[in-house]
Amino acid sequence: MDKRQTMLNDFDHLQDQASDILTQLAALKVQVTTLSEENAELTVENQHLRELLGEDNGSDEAKRLSKSLQNLERLYEAGFHVCREFYGQRREEHDSCAFCLELIYGERERASKAS
Amino acid sequence: MKFTVNRQSFIKKLNDVSRAISTKTTIPILTGLKLVVTDNEITFTGSDTDISIETTLRANDDNAELTVEEPGNIVLPARFFSEIVKRLPEATMTIAVKEGFQANITSGAAAFTINGLDANNYPHLPEIESNDEVTLAGDVFRDIINTTVIAVSNQESRPILTGVHFTLAGDEFTAVATDSHRLSQRKVTLPNPASETHDVIIPGKSLVELSRMIGEEQQDVKMRLAENQVLFMLGDTAFYSRLLEGNYPDTSRLIPSESETTMEISAPALLAAIERASLLSHESRNNVVKLTLSDTATDATATIFGNSPDVGAVEENLSTLALDGNDLEISFNPDYLKDALRSFGQSQIKLSFTSALRPFTLVPSEDGENFIQLITPVRTF
Repeated sequence: MDKRQTMLNDFDHLQDQASDILTQLAALKVQVTTLSEENAELTVENQHLRELLGEDNGSDEAKRLSKSLQNLERLYEAGFHVCREFYGQRREEHDSCAFCLELIYGERERASKAS
Repeated sequence: MKFTVNRQSFIKKLNDVSRAISTKTTIPILTGLKLVVTDNEITFTGSDTDISIETTLRANDDNAELTVEEPGNIVLPARFFSEIVKRLPEATMTIAVKEGFQANITSGAAAFTINGLDANNYPHLPEIESNDEVTLAGDVFRDIINTTVIAVSNQESRPILTGVHFTLAGDEFTAVATDSHRLSQRKVTLPNPASETHDVIIPGKSLVELSRMIGEEQQDVKMRLAENQVLFMLGDTAFYSRLLEGNYPDTSRLIPSESETTMEISAPALLAAIERASLLSHESRNNVVKLTLSDTATDATATIFGNSPDVGAVEENLSTLALDGNDLEISFNPDYLKDALRSFGQSQIKLSFTSALRPFTLVPSEDGENFIQLITPVRTF
C-alpha cells in the first residue's frame, strides 16, 4: 500500500515538474519572438540610417536599381517571390526564380534601352 | 463475343494501352481494359482520365491471325488480364464471353475464367472534331518532348508549370517549359504552315508517356487539338491527353537578349566536369557549384569549383573552345546544368552570361535560334 502511495506521489511530482517546464518554454518562446521582431525592426532602422548617412550598401548591381526595385530585391533576398506569378509565396531555400530575377534586374535594362 | 488471336500481336497492343491504365484511380472501371470486337478488328481502350489510349488490331494484319467468331465487348481487369495473357502456354489464345460478363481465356491446356464488367459503363473517350491537323516526324517530335520536358515543374502547387507550352503560328512550332528555376525552349519549322494558330499546355506526364510510345519506330505523329483535349495519332494508335487550363506565363521576356560574357565548350566535356563537381556539392546543404570566368590579355580560364564544408572541395579548369567578355563569378545548382547539357548530346554549345545575378543561357554553337536552355543562378554572398 505504501509503495503505491509513493509511486502516485512521484507521478504528481513529475507532473508538476513537466507543467513547470512547459510554462518556462512558453515564456521563452514569447521572449524569442519579441527579440526577433526587435531585431528585424532594428535591421530596417539600421538600413534607413545608413541610407541617410549616404553609406554604400548592397551589391554593385543593387546600386544601379531604383528604390522600389531595391525594396523588391530585399524581399526576394528575404525568401519571398516578388514576381507576378507567385507573388508573396515563400521561395524554397536556395532556389532561384527566373520570373523574380527578370522583374528585379531585367526591367532596368529595358528602361535604359528605351531612354 | 468470341475470337482467337496470335498472343504476341495481342500483347504488343495490350502493352501500348496499359500505359494509360492506372491501378490508383477513383473510378473502378478505369482499372480495366476495354475490348470492342467487331467482325474484322479488336479495339483496345485504356484510360486514367488524364490520358486515354485507343489502339486497333486488324484481321487483315497477317501476324495477328485474328479470327472473330462472334462480335461483342467487355471490360477486363487490366492487371490480371495482362499477367494471364503473358503467361499462357501456346502461341494463340481464344477469348470467349458468354453471359454475366465472364471471360473464358483458353490457350492449349490452360483455361482461365475471369470476371469482367459491362463495357457500356465505360466512360466515353473525348470527341475531337477539329480537322486542323499538324503532322510531325516521330523522331523530331520525340526530341522536342525529351528536350523540353526536363524543365517542367513537378510541384503540384504550380499546376500550370507542370506542362509544356506549345504554340503554333504559321509554320513555326514552339515548345517551352519552365519550373521558374530553369527554362527550355525548342522551335521547329513545319514543312506545311498550319491554317490556325494554337496555344496549348500539355501535361508533362502525358508527354513522357507519349514519347515512350513513339519509340524507335520513326513514324509520323499527327496532332489534333480541341478545346480541352489533344489527340495524337501514331499509326493505328490514338493517344488522348487532357490539356492544362490557364494562361502560361510570358516566358519570352525571361530570355536575355544581350550578354556580357560568352563561353564555347563541348557539351560532353562540361557535363563530365559538372558531374565531378556535383559529387561534393550534393553533400552540402546548399547544392551549388561556382563557375569563375576570367579573360585577361594573355590567358582565358574557366574554373568550376564545388565545395562541401564537411567533405572537401573540388576545383577543375575547363578546356574551353572560346571565352570572351567580362570576368564573372556565378553560382548555380549543378543538377539543372546537368539536365540541360544532356539534352545537347555530343554537340558544341555556347553559354552566354549577363551578370552573376541574372540567368544564363545555353545554345548549340551551330544553331542558336531554335534551341535554348536557361538556368537561373543562386546568390551565395
